[in-house]
Amino acid sequence: MDYHMGNHASVVHSLRELNYRVRVSNDRAVLNEADVLVLPGVGAFPSGMKALHSLSLVSYLQEQARLQRPIIGFCLGMQLLADASYEHQYTTGLGLIPGEVVPLINPQWHIGWNSVECVLQDPLFQPSDGQVFYFNHSFAYRGPSEYQIGLSRHHNTFPSVIRRGSVVGLQFHPEKSQGPGKALLKSLISGLSHA
Amino acid sequence: MLKKRLIGTVIVKNGWAVQSFGYRRYLPLGKPECLVQNLDRWGADEIFVLSIDRSSDRLGPDFKLLERLGQLGLGTPLIYGGGIRSVEDGLQVIKLGADRLCVDALLHNDIEVVRELSRQLGAQAVIAALPLACRDQRIEWLDYRTKVSTQVSAKDLAAVTLGIVSELLIIDWQHEGQAGGFDRMLIAHASLPTEIPLIAFGGLNEPGQLIELLSHPRMAAVAVGNFLSYREHAIQKFKAQLIGMPVRLPSYESMYSLTVDV
Repeated sequence: MDYHMGNHASVVHSLRELNYRVRVSNDRAVLNEADVLVLPGVGAFPSGMKALHSLSLVSYLQEQARLQRPIIGFCLGMQLLADASYEHQYTTGLGLIPGEVVPLINPQWHIGWNSVECVLQDPLFQPSDGQVFYFNHSFAYRGPSEYQIGLSRHHNTFPSVIRRGSVVGLQFHPEKSQGPGKALLKSLISGLSHA
Repeated sequence: MLKKRLIGTVIVKNGWAVQSFGYRRYLPLGKPECLVQNLDRWGADEIFVLSIDRSSDRLGPDFKLLERLGQLGLGTPLIYGGGIRSVEDGLQVIKLGADRLCVDALLHNDIEVVRELSRQLGAQAVIAALPLACRDQRIEWLDYRTKVSTQVSAKDLAAVTLGIVSELLIIDWQHEGQAGGFDRMLIAHASLPTEIPLIAFGGLNEPGQLIELLSHPRMAAVAVGNFLSYREHAIQKFKAQLIGMPVRLPSYESMYSLTVDV
């Protein structure tokens, strides 16, 4: 989904390398043809939501989630799936996965390669249990434990993989996580699109 | 557990990747894309591309280089520095494929632009490059455009970094390119704000030196430039010497399938 936040090129390249056909668009007709919707993103939560509203994609995404269409959010894209965020100001999100996005405290940032521990049984993520992925964020999801599939640890523990039905959020950048990122994307997309 | 990083650095001058020695002597290496592709293939933890003549020549960021790098489909996070003058420049750099920005001249010129970039992208996307030297127990900060060094205090450095950037790239500019040259006093000095994690760069190549720096609690990463250019699989070979450190293990992955369709 092209909502003008961040870099789509890396996501497109990594998916094409896995032999998926990829289109980058914010046109509903084009999006309707996709098996899986990917919501990438770099930047701040309020700007992300503003961009989605301006493109009339908020209600579209909510409708697609109700239809159990697979939706995957990366980094900011994951945070946008939540109910709201406290980044800069309180901003409501897409509300596809119950929970809020709150600032990391001491340290304020989580940058670099960290492992993900699967804490709920999920066949799509189990092969990636314990693998390291690239993170770059200063806010994190906080919500009910039933949606938390994977956790990461940096002074405190935070959810790094969340899922509600066919809606999945990854706090890290699988497209920038080399081999482990590609393996996870492959498992995730093939699993969700064939479910 | 969060790993410490080995960052592969590519210095670009006049469009060409160069070896840089002490901020004054340069030897050509070739096309930056080739070096970046190698670092990606070898499993660098991050790749840092620094275009050193873009600010001094007032050229702005090297968008064409970023476009070419974007077409490589890198699977490794990219940091870009060089020529960033405005918020728009910074946002465009991210749009073209960089994951993080590194600013140096902008810290001298207009700290408000850095602050706004940090607000829009998050401080995690912004790194401050500080070319420093330690003389007579004092820290001096170089403005590489004028080649003038100024003595700085912790308060001075905190004013341009605290709450704005996520990491400080401490460059030992005098010993850059010199084997084993990095001056450890730069890291130990009290003038560095204690709240911000550090990246060391300049004269880093010896395993003992890398291990000592990575053992420092505030050190998030070490950046290596010239010394990655002398051999194949240099990242894996450096990492193999860092066993026991909290870094990602070296990995060897083929870009091509090992099976043949017949």
